[in-house]
Amino acid sequence: MSILEIWLGILQGFRVTALVTLYGLVFAIPFGLVFGVAQYMTTGPARFVVTSVIEFWRSSAVIILLFVFYYALPLAGLALSAMTVSAMVLGLNIGGYASQAVRAGLQALDRGQKEAGQALGLSRSTILLRIELPQALVAMSPTFINQLIQLVKATSLVSLVTLSDMTFRAKEISQIEYDPVPIYSSLLLAYFIVCYPVALFGRWVERRINPVREARCAV
Amino acid sequence: MIRTDSTLAVQITSLNKWYGAFHVLKEVNLTIPSGSRVVICGPSGSGKSTLIRCLNGLEAYQQGTVTLGTVRLGDNARETALARRQTGMVFQNFNLFPHLTVLSNCTLALRRVLGMPRAEAESLARHFLEKVRIPEQADKYPAQLSGGQQQRVAIARALCMNPRLMLFDEPTSALDPEMVKEVLDVMTGLAQEGMTMICVTHEMGFAREVADQIVFMDQGSIVEQASPMTFFSTPTHPRAQSFLHTLLH
Amino acid sequence: MQFDIAFALSTVPSILSAIGMTLLVAAVSCVGASAVGFGLELIRRSGGPGGLFVRFLIDFIRATPVLVWLYCLYFILPFYGIRLGALATGMIGLSLYYSGYLAEVFKAGIDAIPKGQAEAARALGLGRMDMTVFVIAPQMLRNIAAPMGNYFVSILKATPYLAVLAVPEMLGRAFDIASDTYRYAEPLTVAGLIFLGLALLISLAIKRLEIRLLGPTAR
Ligand SMILES: Nc1ncnc2c1ncn2[C@@H]1O[C@H](COP(=O)(O)OP(=O)(O)OP(=O)(O)O)[C@@H](O)[C@H]1O
Ligand SMILES: [Mg+2]
Repeated sequence: MSILEIWLGILQGFRVTALVTLYGLVFAIPFGLVFGVAQYMTTGPARFVVTSVIEFWRSSAVIILLFVFYYALPLAGLALSAMTVSAMVLGLNIGGYASQAVRAGLQALDRGQKEAGQALGLSRSTILLRIELPQALVAMSPTFINQLIQLVKATSLVSLVTLSDMTFRAKEISQIEYDPVPIYSSLLLAYFIVCYPVALFGRWVERRINPVREARCAV
Repeated sequence: MIRTDSTLAVQITSLNKWYGAFHVLKEVNLTIPSGSRVVICGPSGSGKSTLIRCLNGLEAYQQGTVTLGTVRLGDNARETALARRQTGMVFQNFNLFPHLTVLSNCTLALRRVLGMPRAEAESLARHFLEKVRIPEQADKYPAQLSGGQQQRVAIARALCMNPRLMLFDEPTSALDPEMVKEVLDVMTGLAQEGMTMICVTHEMGFAREVADQIVFMDQGSIVEQASPMTFFSTPTHPRAQSFLHTLLH
Repeated sequence: MQFDIAFALSTVPSILSAIGMTLLVAAVSCVGASAVGFGLELIRRSGGPGGLFVRFLIDFIRATPVLVWLYCLYFILPFYGIRLGALATGMIGLSLYYSGYLAEVFKAGIDAIPKGQAEAARALGLGRMDMTVFVIAPQMLRNIAAPMGNYFVSILKATPYLAVLAVPEMLGRAFDIASDTYRYAEPLTVAGLIFLGLALLISLAIKRLEIRLLGPTAR
């Protein structure tokens, strides 16, 4: 099999990889925002509940989570497609991480921001939406971009629940013809081509946000 | 502690230094006898820090010589290290080691460089902590102290090595106003004991009271060098005049 | 079919008996990833062509999925006559993969030490060795303890990937039960819960240890 055929084969899986990533974001972004803000704003038992939900999605091993939901949801009478289950599990897992970034970003803001808002007589929700969140989200944007890369990489797991993404295609090809070196190195390279520009973009954003980083390293 | 020998402490001849194409120090000549107190001042970016960092080898330079006592820096690594060991340095932002207690900050070099036994090092360190008037803070960590206290620890840490020469780079400019005095008091005390001191500072009250020479730098050169009396009453260089003017008004 | 709680409970002992394998893989990979990561960071700092290569390697690793790396090693090494077995291949894979992340942790830990620390050490006459051991290293450890702990938990959560290579750790054991009994949901759920508990327990333990080791002045 020629290297071109290998690449064409892997490329056929790109659509699924991209779709799972996209649908994953549909779960990840609202979850990260809502639960991050909720963890920031709540106290006592409410906060405990919020934290528990976040920790469930964040601290579970995502590969097991995927299998559990893939096999257990039908027993609960929920027959979701493999695509939906995958997007949900991968999305909420990354969303769990994102919520921590949202919360940390909010907590890192100068208290003076909130107090200035209060002094102007703004409501709590206006302060949150117009003053705190915009600053926190901008400050944490390099982290979110990193988490997007984590999501793209995690989509390789969907090959284990029969979705034909790039990894699935590569495995298929290698079953047709035993030639692992070009097939799997092409697969690695394919993910690199997708993820690396995102990583570079993240670094650019990071530099935009913290422009004057003094050279201060000791050794 | 007190040295009364009248030998030269520092001699700088034709010192030139570049950062790439940028000429930071231009033909600097300076002679500092033992026991004298020199205050270096000048506008920001004029090369004051660079100059005193050249005196203990923190910065390399391209031309000229720096002689500490009888040792020319750079001639011989061993001797340079020895000469450097006789120089204490106090930084603008203290640079205490945050992971070590105040006492360990003071004893680290005594034990590792001079190989002093622990008990001896600790009693010496406590002696100097007493001298800077914070013996009771010995077991705290730097982060638990105020800025003024941290800077006094930094002075004690440098004194522990029994230096012949103390370098200060704007030791009070990172401090809140109410803490400046406690640090200057310690420095004045040192001067009165006869310590040779070179001090970059904009504390003109201190300069007037303690210095016996004032060196004014501008754009990498020493443009004026005079006794405090002369410097404050009749500065000759126009940059010095305008500098004093903005500082005093 | 319904979720059978009694059956789920009956799988617990068997799945738990594989916890030793999971912990072994995690421990070896943590040590391996730290050692390799530290080495990589030292080479990267030293500059030169080696440094440039390592810089690219770290970027490459971070832009590619761990699952694909495991496939690569598992299928490509034997192709060149290197037969290590699934367990060793898996541990090498996790070590290599996470070394890219730990190198970044070491980098950040060293970069965060202010330049003045090295200058103060030199001004006191400390030699390079003493400076590294007594001034730089302790501060680096303090800076890296928390992120390193997080990556150790990530490595733990990545151990079930080795089930894909048929390493008999907990997820692998759960799948064995599943294929024997044709019931997937129960053993997988049990494995998921055990992993969740383990991850939470170990991150808690690491946090405790950090506080214990670094004391109240830990930043
Ligand atoms: N590592 C460096 N590389 C390039 N230029 C430098 C470097 N360090 C200092 N400079 C430049 O050298 C000049 C002198 O710096 P120096 O720190 O000695 O000034 P200074 O008189 O101490 O100023 P300040 O009062 O602000 O401390 C400045 O213009 C500075 O920008
Ligand atoms: Mg300066």
